[in-house]
This record gives sequence, C-alpha cells and structure tokens, in this order.
Amino acid sequence: MNDIAVAGCRAVGRGGLGTEAVAVRQTPDARRALQLALAVVWLLDAMLQYQPVMYTKAFGQSLAATAAGNPGVIARPITWDATLVEHHVVVLNTIFATTQLLLALGIAFRPTVRLALGASIAWSVAVWWLGEGFGGVLAGGVSPVSGAPGAVILYALLAVLLWPADRGGMPAPFTAARTLGARAARVLWLVLWLSLAYFAVQPANRAPQALHDMISGLESGEPGWLAAIDKGAAALVAHQGLAASIVLAAALTLVAVGVCLPATARAAVVLALVVAVVIWVVGQAFGLILVGGATDPNTGPLLALLALAYWPAWGTVSPTGGPRHPRAAGEGTTDR
Amino acid sequence: MTPAWILDIFAAVMLAVAALSVARIAAAWPWRRGAVVNETDIAYPLMGVAMAGTLTVGLRTLPDGAWDVIFAVLTAWFGYRVVRDARASGGRPLAGLLRAPQRVQSAAMLYMFLALAAPATGGGAGASGPAMRTLNHTTLAFAFAAVLATCSVWDLDQLSGARYSLARGFLLSPEISVGCRIAMGVTMSFMLLIMI
Repeated sequence: MNDIAVAGCRAVGRGGLGTEAVAVRQTPDARRALQLALAVVWLLDAMLQYQPVMYTKAFGQSLAATAAGNPGVIARPITWDATLVEHHVVVLNTIFATTQLLLALGIAFRPTVRLALGASIAWSVAVWWLGEGFGGVLAGGVSPVSGAPGAVILYALLAVLLWPADRGGMPAPFTAARTLGARAARVLWLVLWLSLAYFAVQPANRAPQALHDMISGLESGEPGWLAAIDKGAAALVAHQGLAASIVLAAALTLVAVGVCLPATARAAVVLALVVAVVIWVVGQAFGLILVGGATDPNTGPLLALLALAYWPAWGTVSPTGGPRHPRAAGEGTTDR
Repeated sequence: MTPAWILDIFAAVMLAVAALSVARIAAAWPWRRGAVVNETDIAYPLMGVAMAGTLTVGLRTLPDGAWDVIFAVLTAWFGYRVVRDARASGGRPLAGLLRAPQRVQSAAMLYMFLALAAPATGGGAGASGPAMRTLNHTTLAFAFAAVLATCSVWDLDQLSGARYSLARGFLLSPEISVGCRIAMGVTMSFMLLIMI
C-alpha cells in the first residue's frame, strides 16, 4: 500500500513521520476487483440499514406495502414478515444491518469470500421475496427506471457470476463467464436486459406522463444540483411517455443482444454502463440516499457492475486467472 | 433513532483505536534517533476521540469549533504531505490519497464538523437520549462515505492476502495499523450515512 518505513533504517534526524507499510501489495484480478466493488455496495447497504428511520414503524410499513398486487401465496409471508418487523423493529433491523455488514466484510476478506458470497445469495433471494415482493414484477407496473426487477436480486446474480471458481476448458471471453461458461452467462444477461426492455414498454410506463411523473416525483428533498437535473430530465420527457419508453426499450434490447455478438460486445457494455448511470442519477436519484431513508443504492450501480463483468477487454482469461494474451499481462492475484 | 447501544459500540471501537494508536506512538520510542512514527498513529487519537464524542453525547470533549480547527490543520498537513510525496516519487497526488486513506478520513472529519446541523430534540422508537445530529450538504457525506467504504474494503482485501513480518513486534505490526484504518473507515462511513 505505501513504501516501507522501518524504524532505525532511515537517515532522519531525531524521529520522523512515516506512512504505514504493507509487506507486499497484491493487485487483484478483474473478478476480485468486481467482488470488492460488490463488497463496497453491501457495506453501504449495511450502513444505510442502521439509519434512524429504519428503527421506526415506517420500515415495517414499507415492507408491508410490497405485498400489494402479489398473489396470496407470495403476499401472505410478506405481510407476516412486515408485522413481525413492526413489532420487533430494533432487534430485527439490527440483525438485518449486521448481516449485511458481515456479508460485506466476508466478501472483502479472502478466506471467507466463498462463504460470504454463498450466504449473500440466500440472503438476497429471501429479501427479494419478503422485503421487495419480488421487485413488484408479479404485481405489474414496475419500471427499469425506478428499480425493476428489484436491486437485491442483482446482488445474488453478481454473487453467482463472480463466484471464485473457474470452469475448465476454453478460456473465458469475459469475467462473468469464468464460473458458468460464456453461454450460460450470456443467457443470464439476455434474460435480465430483455426483461428490463419488457418492463419499459408495459402500459403503465407508456402513458404520456409516466416517466415525467416518476422523475419529477424524486425532486422533493434532493440537493439543489440533483433537483435541477431531474427537473430538466422531467421536462425533456413531458408528454413523451410512449416515445421515451420505446427508446429505452430499444436501448435495453441493444444491450441485451449486443453482448452476445463478439463484434458488438464492447459497444453493448458501454451502452449498458451509460444506461445504468443515467438510470441511477436521473431515474433513481442515487437511490434517494441523499434525501435520507434509503435502504440501498438501488439498481444503477449494480447494473454497472454487471456490465463491467461482461467487458471483453478483461478476457481472454485462462481458467487459472492468469493472463492469456500479452495485452492482458499484469493481472495480479486471483481470489481463492 | 438508531439505538444508543449501537452508537456506543462504535464509540467504544473508536476509543480503542485511539488508545491503540497512543500505545503505538509510545512503543515506537519517538525520542530515539531514527525512530519513525506513523501519521495514522498521530491522527487517530484525535479522530477517535472526536468520533466517540459525536456518537455518544457523554463522551463529548471539545466544542465543534475546536474540532474544526484541529481537523483543518490536520487536513492541511495531510494535503501538504500528499503533494510532497507525489513530487518526491513522481507519482500522482490522487494515488497518494488512496494509498493513505487516513488523509481522506481527516478531510471527512473536517467536513463533518463543518456540516453539522443544529441538534434536534426527541427521538424515535428505541431511542435513548438526544437524537443524532444530521449533516448539511449530503452529497459530500455520501461521496466521503463511498470513498471510505472503498478504502476499507481494499484494506481488508490486502490485509487478508498480504504476508507480514512481526520484526517490529505485535503492537507496531502493519496488521494493527491497517486494522485500525479499517475500523476507522467503516465507522466513519457508518456515521456519515446515518447522519444524512
């Protein structure tokens, strides 16, 4: 991390000021770097869960609201869970927040990365059901701009794609292919982005003021600079709901299909990154973190991480994680 | 409101980091010719005490204005060292900041004390004592929290993968310093985000 400073070995006068030493700096490879980025998101998630508003009845009530529109077999456990949380909010929310904190630290700590990623998959699926009502996808009316299909399921998807194991045989063309293989990874990518395109053109999102109302509804409580961005964006799509939803769906479809073709993969990933950033800033207002009371950063940063996992330049990666082409040389240590 | 006992735990961790840093300074025999004292060990007692006082009312020491001055001086000193180290090594100043997150932490402390809103009264469910103060300019709070979280995660990855020698003894080992840095970064991220 810093240059080594050892007592007594520097030609200084009476005492000296140094920065701490690390014996050997280990540069992570692409997959490990993405795991660490995932750990950062989990860490922020955990800290947000400790916010004062999460220890009020409002948290349980927000959970209960996710049951609306879902089939009874899905909605009843959500309602039961929300009631339980409302009555034992201090204990349960502390458990939730601390669990997420341990997941973050576990992913960052190399000896526990597998355990933490595995636990994060189970935790994410449970929260996707009981905390997000499956992101509202069964209830209808959700939009990729507002966070469909639910941020927490993307944590699970990332954990699967970044699992520290390498499929034998052909070298992986991108990082996400190292565990499942290129075909399975592309199928998952297609399912995700095509479903987002599907949600974008649903009737509720095609309404003339649908996107405008969604964006302008975020302005309350935002910092001035962000409110100005949202105001401008809302004005841009005013009465253009149909056109905006078609453009968005077209972009999402291009992202979905483009990654599957080697010639267009890089451009598709760049487009995915742009879409993710725009959604996060304009459509999700950084997950409403700046307003206070958000439980997570929403889907924007997770979609960006997913896109980076499909970046072709970091392949071709050999099954051992080392460089395969001279231009990929310099790849450092792999995860365990 | 976030339960007071959770805030107390984080405050206790901060005081432990402060005490450990003071012990490391003493163990480094700073009066000895050629001794090197790490800048984290000088900064962390101040940061630890300040953060403990922000988390727990009963641990407040100096008024906010005094902490403003202290962290302004510390941040200016660290800024000078970043530029000086970059010139000496030919590297970029930003790389120096990221390699030594305590410099970012100092700036975050300065921001926090400058941006503190007036204290509110009362609390929510599970609260005991006065409500947590909030921060103005929440964009900076989130930006600092994100950077500090990133540094902490990076440090933990490096700590778990690196090999150290204990030639300098346990107390002066790099693991202890990096561990303190991780604790400080995580706690600071926690504070910044719950005060938004």
